[in-house]
Amino acid sequence: MYKIEISKFLMVILLAVGSASAIAAPDWSKVPKREIHVFHPGVTPIEWVMKKSDHSGRTGLTKGESCVGCHEEKGGLNFDMKRLAGKEIEPKAAPATVSFPVGVQAAYDKEYLYIRMTFTPPAGGADHSDKDNDVKAAVMFANDKIALDAGGKIVAGAQLGCWASCHGDARTMPGADDKKTKYAKSGTYELMQWKSGKGSKPVDGVVSDKRNMEGGMAGVKAQSEIKGGMYTVTFVRKLNGALADGKAVPVGFAIHADKATGRFHHVSLGYMLGLGADGDIKAAKLQ
Amino acid sequence: MKEFIKRLRSPSAKYSLLSLLFVGFVGGIVFWGGFNTAMEATNTLEFCISCHEMRDTVYEEYKQTIHYSNRTGVRAVCSDCHVPKDWAHKMARKVKASGEIWGKLAGTIDTPEKFEAKRLELATHEWDRMKKSDSRECRNCHSFDGMDTEKQKNRASKMHKIAQSDNKTCIDCHKGIAHKKPKNMPEEPDDE
Repeated sequence: MYKIEISKFLMVILLAVGSASAIAAPDWSKVPKREIHVFHPGVTPIEWVMKKSDHSGRTGLTKGESCVGCHEEKGGLNFDMKRLAGKEIEPKAAPATVSFPVGVQAAYDKEYLYIRMTFTPPAGGADHSDKDNDVKAAVMFANDKIALDAGGKIVAGAQLGCWASCHGDARTMPGADDKKTKYAKSGTYELMQWKSGKGSKPVDGVVSDKRNMEGGMAGVKAQSEIKGGMYTVTFVRKLNGALADGKAVPVGFAIHADKATGRFHHVSLGYMLGLGADGDIKAAKLQ
Repeated sequence: MKEFIKRLRSPSAKYSLLSLLFVGFVGGIVFWGGFNTAMEATNTLEFCISCHEMRDTVYEEYKQTIHYSNRTGVRAVCSDCHVPKDWAHKMARKVKASGEIWGKLAGTIDTPEKFEAKRLELATHEWDRMKKSDSRECRNCHSFDGMDTEKQKNRASKMHKIAQSDNKTCIDCHKGIAHKKPKNMPEEPDDE
């Protein structure tokens, strides 16, 4: 009996140490910050992106260009923000703030990847359907098999960010099936999401032929801090699946602000996260 | 009538050759000047929007675009884009455009609904014309030679480099820059 109690005690200590090390945040003051901009995309699913009469950049994509390569400038995105704010792209109504900055920091060690997002979610949203969460923050990683066949030309996940999972027939799109979720025609995204609602657990999910909000193998943990309207969300996940040391991985970020659901999020373009490799966002290697 | 034609064909005994040449020369100038002036009158913005079919639709759309109002104050009016500058192509275009008189009389686009129903067809005619002429009217002002892609934003710079290497023409990408794009435009193959 006594032995059992001691072994139980040791197990608790070990678990506590283990979980503490898993979420032991790096010294973020020493990790470089990359500022990206997230924007309200409206109804621009992958079908829109790949239709030349809607988006002449299809030509660039089929020639190997990435979304970021064309649309990111020093200091922001070069979209026609008036067009994004109008009803042409978003038939319901666009949020008052079409685009806002997010600071992204990343670090990794042998076992874990740490991602920190710093942002001030704007009010003035156009959709307030999420009664449980004021704000949600998500990160998706594409594995090597995420790709699109554009008339025989292959467009890779590294060019598209999350767009290969965003379809016009998925829930919250105009006239779409309310039960159909994000999906990818080939490959898998690993999804992690933090929700502000009380008692909400971080999502460790995957997107393949449909979206599963659980069942991921990344052991996602998330912490948050809110100061003066500024949110700091820190994710920790295992360095497994699509992620590995020495690899650059396609990554995209999304924020649902002001109780938004579905397509009424602000999303980033697709970036490359360098883990000991070149990338738009370079993760610092922790000793 | 026969007598009249005979008189026209017979040499003049009353007027000197010089007088006849002078009258012919002056008459030619007056006729040509009048013809050209009348034709140029049909090239003005005011003429184009004198019919409500244009004024209430594409003109209102054009007024929201950079070809109407911009930082430098250079304005391209309807004919700058839709009528060739050189005489031969201009004449051919004007003759073809005279078909629009029939459209006006028949009322084919005399309501906003009718206009929307025909927008894709009408736009396609114009895009085809521009494609065939290698966007000649665009190139009256814009040229790849005069374009400094390094001064452009990333998306323009990269797309213009692709366009040059692939021998693309302006209208391949720049549809809907001065007017609303039609709804339900068909898919376009990559090589067009």
